[in-house]
Parts: sequence; C-alpha cells; structure tokens
Amino acid sequence: MEGNKTLASTTVSNRDLKPPNKPIYQMKRNIWKEMKKNYSSYLFLLPKLVLFSLFIAFPVVWALVLSFQEYRVNGSIFIGLDNYISVFKSEAFMIALKNTALFTAVTVPFNIISALVVASLIFPLGKISQNFFRSAFYLPTVTSMVIIAMVWRWMYNYDFGLFNHILGWFGIESINWLGQSSTALWALIIMQCLIPFGVGIIMYLASMGAISNTLYEAATIDGAGAIKKWFYITIPLLKPTTLYLVLLSTIGSFQVFTQIIMMTGGGPDNATETLVHLIYKTGFRDFEFGLAAAQSVVLFLIILVFSVIQFRMLRHDE
Amino acid sequence: MKWVKRSFLSILSVVLLAGLLVACTDDEGSSDDDGNWTGTITIWDGPRWPDEDDNKYHWLEAKAAEYEEENEGIEIEIVQVPWAEMGDKLGVSIAGQSWPDIAPVDISGSAVSIDHIEQGVIESVDDLFTDEELDDFYENSLEAYTFNDQLYGIPNSITVHSMLLNLDLFEEQGVEPPADGKWTWDEFLNTAQELTFDRDGDGETDVYGFSTYILEGYYEAWPFFYKDGGQPLSDDLSEFTFNSPEAVKAIQDLADLKHEHDAAPETLGGNDVGGTFQAWANEEQRTVAMQPWATWAIQSAQSEYPTNFMVAEYPIGERSEHVTIGGVGGWIMFSQDSDGKREAVGDFMKYLSTTEEQYTMATEYGIFPARKSSADMDPYAENEQMARAQEMTSDVVMLPRHPEWKKIDEIIQGKLQTVFNGEKTAQEAMDEAQELVNDLLE
Repeated sequence: MEGNKTLASTTVSNRDLKPPNKPIYQMKRNIWKEMKKNYSSYLFLLPKLVLFSLFIAFPVVWALVLSFQEYRVNGSIFIGLDNYISVFKSEAFMIALKNTALFTAVTVPFNIISALVVASLIFPLGKISQNFFRSAFYLPTVTSMVIIAMVWRWMYNYDFGLFNHILGWFGIESINWLGQSSTALWALIIMQCLIPFGVGIIMYLASMGAISNTLYEAATIDGAGAIKKWFYITIPLLKPTTLYLVLLSTIGSFQVFTQIIMMTGGGPDNATETLVHLIYKTGFRDFEFGLAAAQSVVLFLIILVFSVIQFRMLRHDE
Repeated sequence: MKWVKRSFLSILSVVLLAGLLVACTDDEGSSDDDGNWTGTITIWDGPRWPDEDDNKYHWLEAKAAEYEEENEGIEIEIVQVPWAEMGDKLGVSIAGQSWPDIAPVDISGSAVSIDHIEQGVIESVDDLFTDEELDDFYENSLEAYTFNDQLYGIPNSITVHSMLLNLDLFEEQGVEPPADGKWTWDEFLNTAQELTFDRDGDGETDVYGFSTYILEGYYEAWPFFYKDGGQPLSDDLSEFTFNSPEAVKAIQDLADLKHEHDAAPETLGGNDVGGTFQAWANEEQRTVAMQPWATWAIQSAQSEYPTNFMVAEYPIGERSEHVTIGGVGGWIMFSQDSDGKREAVGDFMKYLSTTEEQYTMATEYGIFPARKSSADMDPYAENEQMARAQEMTSDVVMLPRHPEWKKIDEIIQGKLQTVFNGEKTAQEAMDEAQELVNDLLE
C-alpha cells in the first residue's frame, strides 16, 4: 500500500507537464532570441523555406483568394461566395463527388486489407524470399501510373484485351469495359485494387518487425493459434501504421487523376468523372480558375474532414 | 562565420535583384527617329515538315531570317512548342498574362476562344487587309476568325473531315465504291453491310463496314448528324437543336449501324482514337473498311500506313447536299501595348500568309490553303486523294462559335456515347443534353 501511495504521489499528470502560461510578447521575444541564437541553422533552412513558401504556401493561399473571385485575364472580380454556390449547385461536381467517394470507399479498405494480408504472408518467410516479394510488390509503386494505365487500357480493350480473351474461354460475351457507363468506373476500381499497395506492404513489414516476439510466445503458451495471434496481437499493434496508411491512401484516392485522364477522360457521359479531373478541366480547359479554386478548397475540406474522422476513430484507444 | 553569413546574404540579394529585374523587363521595344518600331517579336509555332537535317522549324526560321534582314532592328524569337502541348501552353500563358506576340491557333476549338476576344487578349487584325485582299480568302475561313464584324486572325489553312475507303476490302467483297465519292445514306448503308463479312468462316465477323469514335473535341462522326438537316444549336445560338427530329434520326441511323444492322463493331462510338485508326490503316488489322477522318489521316495512309484507299464524301440524307465539319487554322496576334509593335507584328503575320507561303504550306505540309489564289495554284495536282479532299473545303460548316462551346461539346459528346453504347436512344440522350445545354445557353 505504501509503495502504491508513493507511486501515485510521484506520478506526473499531463497537466503538470504543460509549460507555465507566459505573456505573448515574452514568447515572441523568446522565439526571436532562439532564432538569433541558432541563426546558422535557420540559414540552412532558408532555401527550403523559400521554395516551400513560393511553390506550396503561396499557391495555397492564392487559391483560397482566387476562390472568391471570377478570374478574368484583364483583372479578376471579387464575387464573394458565388463560386462556392456554383460548386454545390453543379451536377457535374456532385457526379464527380459520388464517383470519387465510391472509388475511395472500395479501393482504400481493399488496398489496406490486401497489404496487411500480403505483408503477414511474407513476414514469416526467409530473408531471401522476403526481399524478393518485397521488391516484387513494391515495383508498381516506382512505375509511372501513365505506363500502368496504358497497360490496363490494353487489358480492357474490347477486341484483343486480356480480360475479354479470358471471358471468351468460358464462352462469356466480351464486355466493353471502359465504354459502358455501368462498367467503366468499376473497371478503374478493379484496376486500382489489383495494383499492389507497395508502400503499405513495406510499412506493415517494417512495423511487424518491431512487434516483440515475447507477446507471440506468451500467446502460444496460453494456447492461441496463428489466426488468433494475428487478430489479437498483430492487428492491434499495427494500428498506428494502419492509421497512417488509411490516411495516406484516402488522400491519394480522393486525388485520383492519372488513370482517369489516360483511360476514360471522365467518360462515358461522366461515368468516371472524379473531383481532381473535374478541377483540372475547370481550370485548364474552361480557364475558370476561380471556380476551379473553389472546387479545390471544397476537396481540401472534404479530405480534411475525412482525415480527422479517420484519425479520431483509429486513434481512439491508443 | 560572419563572412559566411555576409557572403550568403550578398549572393541572395544579387540573385533576388537579378530575378526582379528579369521579371520586370518588358519586350515592348522602342521606335526610332523615323517612327519605325524596333524590338523583338515572339512567335510560337509547332513542328512542320522536316528539312534534310530533320529540322521541322526550318520554314519559319528562314522566313524570320528574311524578315529580320528586310527590317533592321526587328528580331524574331521563335519558340518551338509541340502541337500536342500548344493548347495547354497557350492557355497557361494567357492565364499568366505572358502570351507570345503571334501563335498558330484554330480558334474554333482550342485554348484560345471567343471569350478571349471579349476579354481583349486577342488583337483585331482588321486593318491589315483591304477588302480586295480579303476577297482572296475563302469566306468560311474568314468567318471563323470574325467576331462582331472584326477580323481576329489571318486564316492559313482549312481542315476537312472526309470518308476514307479501303479499296482492297471493296475489291475483296466485289463492292463498287461510290462514283466520284458521292452517295446517299441508303447507298452507304448497303455498302457498309456488304463490307461486313466473316473472312475465315469461323462464324465470327472479321471485317466491319464502318467504324468511328465519339470523343470530346473530335468531330469525325458529326457530319453524319447533319445529313438530314440537323445542327447542334440554332443559328442565333440561343437554342439546343440536336434533339430535333432530323438530328435525332441521323444520330440513331449511325448508331443503328451497330445496334440493328451489325455493320459496325462494338467499339463504334468508343473513345479510342488511335485504336480506331489502326483498325482501318494498320496492315496487320484492316478490320474496318470505311472510316471518317480529318486530313492528317490521308497523309498518314499515303506514307506511314500505305493503304490502297479513296477519299469520299459523307453520305447525303434529307439535306440533299454534302456537308462536312471543318476547322480553320491561322495566325493570331495577342494583345499589344504599343501601336508600333502592333503594326510590326501584323506586318510579320502578313509576311507569313502570302499566296506563295500558303502554297508552300500546302505542298510541303499538306494543308488546304485558306487563300483562293494559293488553291488556284493547284498544290495537289499530283495527289488525287488530297485534291479530292480539297474540293470539300467549300462544303465545310464550322462548329457553333459559342463562348461555352467546350462545355456544350462535352455534354453532347457524353450523351452521344450513351447512344452508341446502347444505353439510351438518340431521343432520350439528346433530350437529356438539351436540359443541360440550355442552362449554358441562358
């Protein structure tokens, strides 16, 4: 009891770790003081900071400003929320949002689960086999999506594509995969699902290596089988990695573009239109930069909301 | 350590200052005592025909050198831009207000549009020509560059779409091609059916009579939709008219080549441009006997994919006269700040657009001249197929010049795709298109 009391009394709560409140002017002074003291470090950071400001921060802020304007070559006009109203009234935007959401809802869980399963199957293998599979599954990640899309376009070809050839073996009629509204989006989803999620596999493998073997040994002694260990040890302990991968692939899925422009152009009849492709068309085909900026801001907010929800859900019991 | 900091800051300052100076430098030039403008004219152009060193910009380089020699103090800067990137780069340059002085532009379907004329991005070139000089241009080519009775570009070439017929397949099936390349819809339909056949007797069709594709910005199939008198928008551009009975019938007729008559492959109305052409032109395929194409395909079938073919007109329907869709290429001048430079730029554009230059372009580059005098020089005297296509330039109708045309086109082509893939009838699809297009026309 005595020991516990001592332990409790010496435990430091998070609240105690907070820095004492200081007036803002004093904090500012400290920042300047800190910068002055370590100016050489900041000088090294400067080039990257300048590039970041020029090519990331400034365009982001400018896009936000632009979203409240009607862009015209000879001077933009401030139009308040009109662009945002147009975005939400636009049927094309709603179709693109629906398509993108469906694409994300199917491909993200599939990619995460498949990466986890593949990594779990590779992990127990010997070093040489593990390296081989690691490289094999990572290969598509370093291959240009343009090339992958071209190959898949060929595989979906109606006359001499691989898929219709296989269907032919079973006496099934050829399908116009990319030419029918009912199949085009699913064809793209299948493609995305079948491209191995290399980053996920590599990250899961790295994280699995960090799980202590003693946990598995203890579970074995308690009589747990391989599947139980996978469900009750591996998956829970990989949660931070899963969180990161879910966020990463959700953002990537919401920004799907290359496959669309290379394989369907958003057609037929908008069946494969996605948000980023729509933004590209609005900006660089119609040159309505204000509207495109508003669409981008809305996409940013959608991704932000999804990310926060996912973050909170997956981080809940950490 | 101090000197490192000082040196770093000095170099940074110099670089920033230099950047600022470069950014602020204008190339508006200046005028000498006689009032002659001197300075640099920037012109963008795409690759044209090669010389012995495979330089595809030699024609413009030679013209620029000649012009510089004749006009002391004027320098021509040529910026080489691949044709595939021309639209995007022009669009971005306009958005960034860093446009060239001159660029080759098909105003009916490119990054530069009527909207840009309204915004003052493009200069009028109305005062470059006398009425007599303008009479030398084909009327439809001038119309393409005319807005509010002002000319906004010098037409350089006319492109047409025509039907290309693989004569080997006609011969194989013992089918007679249309006399003079003229035919009615019924004759065309019969021919397409006769040219659809199973070569090896395995029960599957090996060759189809006809095919084409439907894609935003491409109009190979569209002259068929005009055959009974239909057109996408009313003459005053206030109404969508592709759901009129005559347009709907024409659209359904073409789609039914696949759906009803089995004279076209499943890919009819798809979006694969390259695949469609290969099916007609590639010796290893040749699975389609007739396809409509723009002029470039004629040259391709004469050189890259040698094919025994003839050029025919689109079939005639209720309209009773041949109509094809075309485009007009030409030089446009972007907004200028100084009158002196505007005059010099206009003069150089004119220099590139003479009868002789358009004739050279026709013989060497394979375009149809926009000047009657160049066409009269008979550039295709020894090229039967090109000569036949050139005859069609007078049948060319231009696409509606609505500022929202790209969006309208996207809607129409999207709905057309659903007709050709069998998801909707022409009437249903065009009625849906009407609702969406009318919003843009309001």
